[in-house]
Amino acid sequence: MAEITFSKKSLERYEWLLTRYPSKEAVLLPALHLAEEEFENIGVKEMKYVADLIGIPPARVYGVLTFYTHFRRAGCGKYHIQVCSTLSCALRGSHEVYQRISERLGIEAGETTPCGRFTLSKVECLGSCDTAPMLQMNDDYHEGLDLELVDQLIEQWRAELPEGGSS
Amino acid sequence: MSEHATTVTWTLNGKQVESPPGLTIMEAAKLHDLEIPNFCYHPGLSIAGNCRICFVESNRSPKPVISCSERIAEGLEIQTHSEMALEARNSVMEFQLINHPLDCPVCDKAGECVLQDHSYTHGPDRSRFEENKTIRHTKKLGSTISIWGNRCIVCTRCVRFCDEITGTGELCVVERGDRSVVDVFPGLPIENSLAGNVIDICPVGALIGEDFKFEARIWDMKKTSSVCAGCSRGCNIEVQSLDGFAKRIVARENPEVNEWWICDRGRYDYRYLLAADRVTDASAGGEPIDSDTADSSLNDLVSENGGIVGILVDPMMTCEELHLVNRLSSTLSDCQVAAWSTADGEAESFPNGFTISSDLHPNRAGVGAIIGKDAFSTVAKGLRRSLDAGDIDLLIVFAGFPHPDLEKKWIESIGKAKVRIVFSLQSGSWCEGADLLLPSTAPLEKEGSYLNQDGRLQRVRTLIAAGQQPFPSELVRLQALLTHLGERPRSVSSSGVFRELASSVEAFSDQSHSTLGESGCVLSSGKSAVGSMGGDA
Ligand code: SF4
Ligand code: SF4
Ligand code: FES
Ligand code: FES
Repeated sequence: MAEITFSKKSLERYEWLLTRYPSKEAVLLPALHLAEEEFENIGVKEMKYVADLIGIPPARVYGVLTFYTHFRRAGCGKYHIQVCSTLSCALRGSHEVYQRISERLGIEAGETTPCGRFTLSKVECLGSCDTAPMLQMNDDYHEGLDLELVDQLIEQWRAELPEGGSS
Repeated sequence: MSEHATTVTWTLNGKQVESPPGLTIMEAAKLHDLEIPNFCYHPGLSIAGNCRICFVESNRSPKPVISCSERIAEGLEIQTHSEMALEARNSVMEFQLINHPLDCPVCDKAGECVLQDHSYTHGPDRSRFEENKTIRHTKKLGSTISIWGNRCIVCTRCVRFCDEITGTGELCVVERGDRSVVDVFPGLPIENSLAGNVIDICPVGALIGEDFKFEARIWDMKKTSSVCAGCSRGCNIEVQSLDGFAKRIVARENPEVNEWWICDRGRYDYRYLLAADRVTDASAGGEPIDSDTADSSLNDLVSENGGIVGILVDPMMTCEELHLVNRLSSTLSDCQVAAWSTADGEAESFPNGFTISSDLHPNRAGVGAIIGKDAFSTVAKGLRRSLDAGDIDLLIVFAGFPHPDLEKKWIESIGKAKVRIVFSLQSGSWCEGADLLLPSTAPLEKEGSYLNQDGRLQRVRTLIAAGQQPFPSELVRLQALLTHLGERPRSVSSSGVFRELASSVEAFSDQSHSTLGESGCVLSSGKSAVGSMGGDA
């Protein structure tokens, strides 16, 4: 297993975070965000690194990481598309949105395209009900969707991430 | 209401009761003999309050409250069986079971499963769930433990155990909602020395001990309260057996010794009972002899010997057996009694205070109190010197060690006795050339008592049913020998032998088997009698 480590900048950030939280355990969530920024996806190696950095059992990190849907776990595509499927979005057509993305990318929820560029998920309410239906792609919200907008987004993402350019 | 009240007056099911302040409703109710259903609550762990089966109705809340975490207070009125409480628990049970595979017929927990019990008493009699059940993993979490994820109710008892008791933190709950289940971090299995306790405390059949999987049905087994012989701590155990064979050992609560826990050595180390190299038959000069011949041979070898006798006892022997050795020694004109033991193991301590002793013998303190505190040191040295000088005419050796890691020098010295009688659990070099070799009972097959490292005297009981013993125990053979020597009219039970011990050794004087009860007693002069035992000679 190749050694991994935070960059100097992330380490400084981590040190600062430690001063902002009452306990080491409490710093786990922001540390995982840092890990995501640093390593993109969080797998076994990355969880172990974070656990050792904080000084908590790796199983604790594993439990917390898998509790949330929004962390990018190992194997997640470069673009993680999370379609909200809770009530407001569902009433406003989230199923069609999901269906369209699924057809165009050729994957179901929980799957990643073979090229490793896209991962599709169905998630619960993302707190943007007033602009339903909506989805989150990595850190960005895309709101008030219709099928045309969905097509445009997919074209745009494909253009941003040429095939074969994934890591 | 005074802040320093010594009791709290509250109402439990319409009856006014008083309880010490600070207790939870569940704890206080228990003091009034009312057990409120629970899954996630465990007296040895922190309160998690996640399972909700302990719902009760309170006059201070519009909704039911969880009794494992709500504390009693002056004027609190609690109903455990009101319509609201029953309805709440019924709903909890319905939720608990929606994804449960209902595989009790093939589940090793069936018969002692709290989920079964509460489903029966509190649950609905049918499911309204028409969707597909979620499937969760079944896999090994370590070499001795597997998880059957579909049965897990995510009470987190096992996770809290590894966090709070062992401090090893191997377990976690992964995923969430109906997919959540217990797991280990990839590549970091649960392998701590107390790990097996998570199997005991899992309220359902989710954590299964590999050694017990599909071995027996709970209700078929005989349960024997005893004490672990794995080290001098003397943890309380329950031996569960089928047809005289140990199937599993579980922890038995004793707040003064082991609380609710035992270590994995105590839990799993019983296979030696059936080990291939176990001595099961008597033999003389290497030739097998039947039991009666062995008995008369023992009698003859001892009574016909007029010379110098040495007896070497082991600290796996019960206080009763040791007492009989003392009696024997006093009938012989020239006899010394020394003790030997196996090499030390490794001691281990855990954050909550649980300590596994390096002394792998349950009754070293008993030897000290009954035979003498120098038995392992100066007396042993003296006996060895006499043996090496060829001065010992008859040597009686007790080697009831499940794992005889014995000193070579001792074994050489033993071989120098003119006549040698050996009681042994395992065959080994100390048995070779013995004039009479007799099988030893293993600790789990003994009736009597052990004195632990803290001077607590506790009852050990045999898992073998009366009349089913494959050979006479040391307790029986030593008494027969004493009868033959004209020392006593007849044999008595281990309790009878204990009464003799109590009248002859001061430290035991105010005890009997019945005063020991289920959790033992600290001998008043125990500590001083035990004193410093010194090392082996
Ligand atoms: S495995 Fe057992 S003890 Fe652990 S959380 Fe599940 S039900 Fe509770
Ligand atoms: S700590 Fe000692 S007495 Fe307790 S279970 Fe382990 S070996 Fe047995
Ligand atoms: S329901 Fe989709 S954002 Fe709330
Ligand atoms: S026992 Fe009270 S919530 Fe589980």
